[in-house]
Amino acid sequence: MQRGTTRKFSTTPGTRDILPPESTRLLDVQAKILKRFRLHGFREVLTPALEYSEVIEEPKLRDVSFKLFDPDNQMLLLRPEMTTPIARLVAQRLGNSPPPHKLSYGLPVYRRAGVGRGQSAELHQAGVEVVGSTSPGEDAGTIALLIETLESVGLRAPRDLVLVLGQSAFYEGYLRKVAPEAAAGLLVALAAKDLVRVDEISAGVVDEAPGVREIPRLVGPATDASLLERADQYAEGEAAAAALENLQEILAHLDVGGHLGSVMLDLGLIGRHNYYTGAVYEVYAAGLGFSVANGGRYDNLLRRFGEVLPATGFAISLERLLSVLPHEEPAPLLVLVGSTVEATRLAEKLRFFGVPVLHLAEDLAPEAAVGYARSVEASWVGYPASGGLKVAPAEPGSEFEPTPIGKVAGRMLS
Amino acid sequence: MSGLRVAVPKGAIFEDALVALGGAGLPVEVLRENGRRLLYQAEDTEFIVSRPSDVPVFVEHGAADVGVVGKDVLEEQRPNVMELRDLGTGACRMILAAPRARAEEVQRAISHAEVVRVATKFPNTARRYFASLGRQAEIIELHGSVELAPLVGLSECIVDLTATGTTLHENDLVVVDEISHSTARLIANRGSYRLRHEEVAALLDAIHGSLHG
Repeated sequence: MQRGTTRKFSTTPGTRDILPPESTRLLDVQAKILKRFRLHGFREVLTPALEYSEVIEEPKLRDVSFKLFDPDNQMLLLRPEMTTPIARLVAQRLGNSPPPHKLSYGLPVYRRAGVGRGQSAELHQAGVEVVGSTSPGEDAGTIALLIETLESVGLRAPRDLVLVLGQSAFYEGYLRKVAPEAAAGLLVALAAKDLVRVDEISAGVVDEAPGVREIPRLVGPATDASLLERADQYAEGEAAAAALENLQEILAHLDVGGHLGSVMLDLGLIGRHNYYTGAVYEVYAAGLGFSVANGGRYDNLLRRFGEVLPATGFAISLERLLSVLPHEEPAPLLVLVGSTVEATRLAEKLRFFGVPVLHLAEDLAPEAAVGYARSVEASWVGYPASGGLKVAPAEPGSEFEPTPIGKVAGRMLS
Repeated sequence: MSGLRVAVPKGAIFEDALVALGGAGLPVEVLRENGRRLLYQAEDTEFIVSRPSDVPVFVEHGAADVGVVGKDVLEEQRPNVMELRDLGTGACRMILAAPRARAEEVQRAISHAEVVRVATKFPNTARRYFASLGRQAEIIELHGSVELAPLVGLSECIVDLTATGTTLHENDLVVVDEISHSTARLIANRGSYRLRHEEVAALLDAIHGSLHG
């Protein structure tokens, strides 16, 4: 009985409580990211965590979704991602305002996690969507925003990160032109990242169509012009030619922003979801085996919701991003100890001078106070004293020094 | 040329993996020196040695940049990794086998869509195989000596990997059906494949050269 009760008070597999300092870092990073999005005119939206099951069509996403039933016995999903809910929101709510709609979000998504695979069921994401424009300038704009955003929170491009860019319509267009019967099987194999299977299938058609085997192997720095020249040999058929031209335009936009050095081309990257129709990208950071962010163009997704609106966007995985960010010192904080009215007055006054103060309205001995301060990552401890207060760094055995109120901020920041 | 961390599987395909990687110019000799170590450093390449089924885990999480693993393990786990090259070595077959005396009985049970009990180290592979036949099976997952299961009545048949068939023969088991063929594959972490593309591509070319040269 006792054991059963205990179990129910833990969190469910794949979820966790996030405690300081991780929680404050997560929220700080999210706030910085959303602020950066606003600098580009993106406005935040909130959508419900619950969606009707029909809203999400992608089979892989439906499989990993948590399912529930509402009072009318309709199946609901906990949103497994944000792109589709935002597409639904645009189609239903923003029909009367002129496109493109530039929206952003910072919200958790939910996926059933495999036990023992190190996966989370609750993932915090921040991202943007541009809905209602086919311009490659918008693809490039969101890519540039993504790189800038990652830089603004502490990653250095291109040293710490690489943005891998593909064009999912290029390979598909080429296949439909030169090897239409083999196209479906090849696309499935490539989506599964199985280049061995691609080789096996292409062995039958490769003589007339070398690109079947070669296109997925066109990988290299975006600054390497020879890569696109090689790709150009395979620009057969209208769709493939248009896709390659689209990619070149995106690269031209990225070049003028000085972002080309962070971009790697991979024409074998076609995206993990079927809904990508054009540019598609993933960001990898040094020291992490998983992508930190991913995105792309999805021109057909909104048709399902009754609107013909092309769109492009990305999502950053905040937990993964946090795991590769350099360690930051916690913000300075003073623990002011004292249960007297004088202590309360002092705390107010210190805050007026811009000092972050945690007022502990107890009478605590210095040793215990230092222990408390360290547990909340405060760097200083103070007591009321005649003519102001006495402060000491939050380290065992440190000496308290009388300090005038006006000088506390200076000492803490020095 | 490397600077990569390479996951090498213990057991049956260990030697094959070493020959392929060594042929590509990696300093694999160090792996033959001492059977107990798990982590080896030679020149600028690091090797880790693990159970075959753990190789995709190390690679998927980026704890190793590339690895060598059988297609059978990839089919079973479906990890999110890049599958780059068929090394052509370590060939084996995934088979459905049953005791000689009851093989026909098992075949008849399956064709009549009766539920059979299957012991296996590859539960996902077994489930997909029976699903593809439109047949039903009760799958019992074991971690070793699967051949024992039908001999003591734990199951009627097994789904397992065999290279030479010796173990099957010794336990008087016969192959009822062939499920798939497997060879060793070179896999890479998705991030390493891009962040360390030059090194990975060089390794791929070198392996290609040694396979076809």
